[in-house]
Parts: sequence; structure tokens; C-alpha cells
Amino acid sequence: MTVKHDITAHIIAEYLPGTPVEELDSSYDLLENGVISSLELLRLIAWLSDRYDIPFADLEISPDDFRSVGAIEKVVTRFEGLPAAE
Amino acid sequence: MIRWSEEQQELCRAIGEVAAKLGSDHLENDKNGTFDQEGWQKLKDVGLFGLPFDTRHGGLGKDLTTTVHVLEQLGYAGRDSGLNFSVSTHMVSTGVPLQRFGSSALKERYLPEICAGTMIGAHAITEPSGGSDVMGMLTTAVADGDDFVLNGSKAFVSNGSIADLIVVYARTGAPGDVAGITVFLVRRDSPGLSVGNPISKMGLRTSPLAEVFLDNVRVPRDHVIGAKGAGFLILDHVMKWEILCGFGIIVGEMRRRLERCVEYARTRTAFGSAIGSNQSVANMIVEMRIDVDTAQKWIHDTAEKLQSKADVASDIAITKLVVSEANVRSALAAVQVFGGYGYVSEYGVEKDLRDAVGGRIYSGTSEVQRQRLATLMGLNRPVKLS
Repeated sequence: MTVKHDITAHIIAEYLPGTPVEELDSSYDLLENGVISSLELLRLIAWLSDRYDIPFADLEISPDDFRSVGAIEKVVTRFEGLPAAE
Repeated sequence: MIRWSEEQQELCRAIGEVAAKLGSDHLENDKNGTFDQEGWQKLKDVGLFGLPFDTRHGGLGKDLTTTVHVLEQLGYAGRDSGLNFSVSTHMVSTGVPLQRFGSSALKERYLPEICAGTMIGAHAITEPSGGSDVMGMLTTAVADGDDFVLNGSKAFVSNGSIADLIVVYARTGAPGDVAGITVFLVRRDSPGLSVGNPISKMGLRTSPLAEVFLDNVRVPRDHVIGAKGAGFLILDHVMKWEILCGFGIIVGEMRRRLERCVEYARTRTAFGSAIGSNQSVANMIVEMRIDVDTAQKWIHDTAEKLQSKADVASDIAITKLVVSEANVRSALAAVQVFGGYGYVSEYGVEKDLRDAVGGRIYSGTSEVQRQRLATLMGLNRPVKLS
């Protein structure tokens, strides 16, 4: 499973249950559209931190880093030094 | 159910013995709003403040569940709820964020003082205009050379007037920006920082509460805790500890109150029999028992989950609600059980009720916790993608 698929699956399971995976475009704005609130953003960051071992509190982050599946994927792959999945 | 080891139980007994000797003048201190310096000194001497912190920095290196368990014993044995509250505030406001997010240099410099209790900690989060709306905070921090310059004011800072170190949450980004809050460790003696007089309040009167004013306070960049913009994450971590430690203490206080009521109901007679034999009185005490047991289970369960790195976003909100609401019910029932003796100040029962009310407000009000739960349940989330 690619990072993108992993993130998409988690967001659908936790925040958009019942939504078909193909319906969640990687550029869909999760914050602007109210899918993820500031409180849930914390949960998402905590999950990413555990899942990919990223010490977010020691990094300078921006809400834009978590705005969409694509943005999150870039943060994760940037930290891991892995190429983003096509 | 957690099975406590012999070592954990011994630690509890030791803290309990010390705490039981404190607070002989807690009613007088409550009346005058006086912080118990002598009590603080004794708790300092027994090493309580270093419980969860690294042994490298002078702590005892205990885990979260042990810390909560021992603090529960402090609540049970120590009669001064305000002093207990100050202890929890000291540990979670400064030590907890420093240990988890602080640089090695900051930890080496300040954690030993926090563990020893030679420097008292506080945190400044709430603002006069914002209440629980942390994202709406107005205090700013602007980078300037090797420093940040802080301006603004903070309301309701527990330990404010006795603190040597204040962890200040300030805005370094745009309003509403999740990554717009940064955390600073600020020394009380920093030029431009001033603390208002202790604020008189309904309960927890022996725990000083004050306003903090920041007027061009220069804080070195190396006194930032975590990264710039990580304030919301740090606050989330601190709040979890604050709720578990602070309300763990309250569970102990509820247990002591229950035992007082049982004893009183068994020995106080009216109409020729003990009042506890009256079903309506017994029922109140039974409800108190159910409340304290439920509160304790939530505290222990959530502490264990957090310790195992599970997602406790919902658990922490429920725990805070369950314990704070149960505490008010229990304290009100105790006043009723004690009757006239519960209503007058001399027996300290009414003080318990005044002390309990604040728990529904600090660390996120009951309304905010319910809103958090509603959010986490997806009640205000779109059903379909737009």
C-alpha cells in the first residue's frame, strides 16, 4: 500500500465513513470543507506521527501541510525521504 | 483493573502519610486565600514534584499511571484542595511540556528545579476575551534577532503570583491558524512581565490565581518549547496530563468525602436511629459511591490508554466530564448528608462544594468537552463530499 492509499484509507475510515475511496480526490480540501476540524487535525497529526514516526511538535508545520491527501502525502514523503506515489 | 505493584503502593503510602499531616489550618487558609508555603515545602522534601520526570533531571521516572495513582493519594490524604491543585498545576504546566518537547539545554537547566520544587511553574493560556477559545488568543510573539518579543495579557493563571517560570502560549501566526501558536518558557523576572494581585474566587482559594501582563517581554529563541507553531500540539499533550493528574487528585478527594459521609451517617442519630438507616440518606451516599468508582475507572482507563499511545481524544473529554460533574454532585450530596453542619464553614464540607465547581470550568468547560465529543462523533461533519 502506498503512502497515499494509506492516508486516504485512514481519512475515509475515521472522517468519511461510507465514502468510496475513488471519490476522495487527493486535492480535495479537507479543512475548508469541514471534513477535518482543528480538533480532528490533532488526531490526524497524532496518527501520522505514530504511523510514520514523525516528531511534528519539533517541526515547523502549517495547516496547508494537512489540507488534502496530496498535501499530507508530501509531508510524509518529505520526512521519510521517499518519492510521492503517482 | 490495574493491579498496583508493591513499589507503587509503597509510594502511595509514603505520599499519603506526608499529605495527611498537611492542611491542619486549611479552613483558615481558605478563608484568607492563603497559599500553604509550609505544606509546599513538605511535599517538596518528599520529592513529589519529580514523580513523572526523568531521573537524569532529578525526577523519579514514574510512568503516567503511577503518577496519577500517587496524586490520587495526595487528594485522598491532603485536605487542602487548593494546595493539591497548585501541585498538579506546577507539574503539568511546565515539567510535562519541557520533558516531552523541550530542548536538552532547557531540560538540563530547568527540570531539576521543577522536580525539586525550588522553582514553581504555571502556564498562561486563557485570555480575558477568549475563555476556552484558545485559537482566538491575542497575545503575540514576534521574532526579533535572537529573541521573540511577547505582548498581551493572560487571565486566570493558576499559581500566577507564586510562579518562577511561566509557560506562555502566544500567537506567531494568523488568527485561527492551527500552526499559529508557539510555546515559550518565560522567567518570572523577565523585564516587562508583571503579575497582578491574586484574584479572589469561589473555591480553591488557597491556590493563587492571577493575571499576567506581557509588555515587550524578550524571550530568547532557545526558550521556545518545541518548534515554532507547535503550540496546539503541545497544548493537546499538556491538557491530557492536566486532566488526568488534576482530576486524579479529585478522585482521591471524592473518596475521602465519601468516607466522611459514611462515618457521619452511621454515627449521627435522628429520631432514634442513625441517619444512614434512612433510605433517602443512604441512597445519596450510594450515589456518591457509584460516582467515585466511575470517576476512578475513567481516570485509570484513560491513563492506561494514553500510556499505551492509543487515541484518547474522546476518552479524555468523557473523563473530564464524568469526574468534574461527579465531583460537584458528590460535594452537594455531602452538604445535604451533613445538614446544618454541612452548610456552615467550620466542618469544611461547604468548602468542598465551592472547590468542586471550578472543575466544570478549568481545563476546558463542560460545554466545550461536549462540543468536542460532538465533533469527534462527526455530528457537524458533511455527510457527502461536495
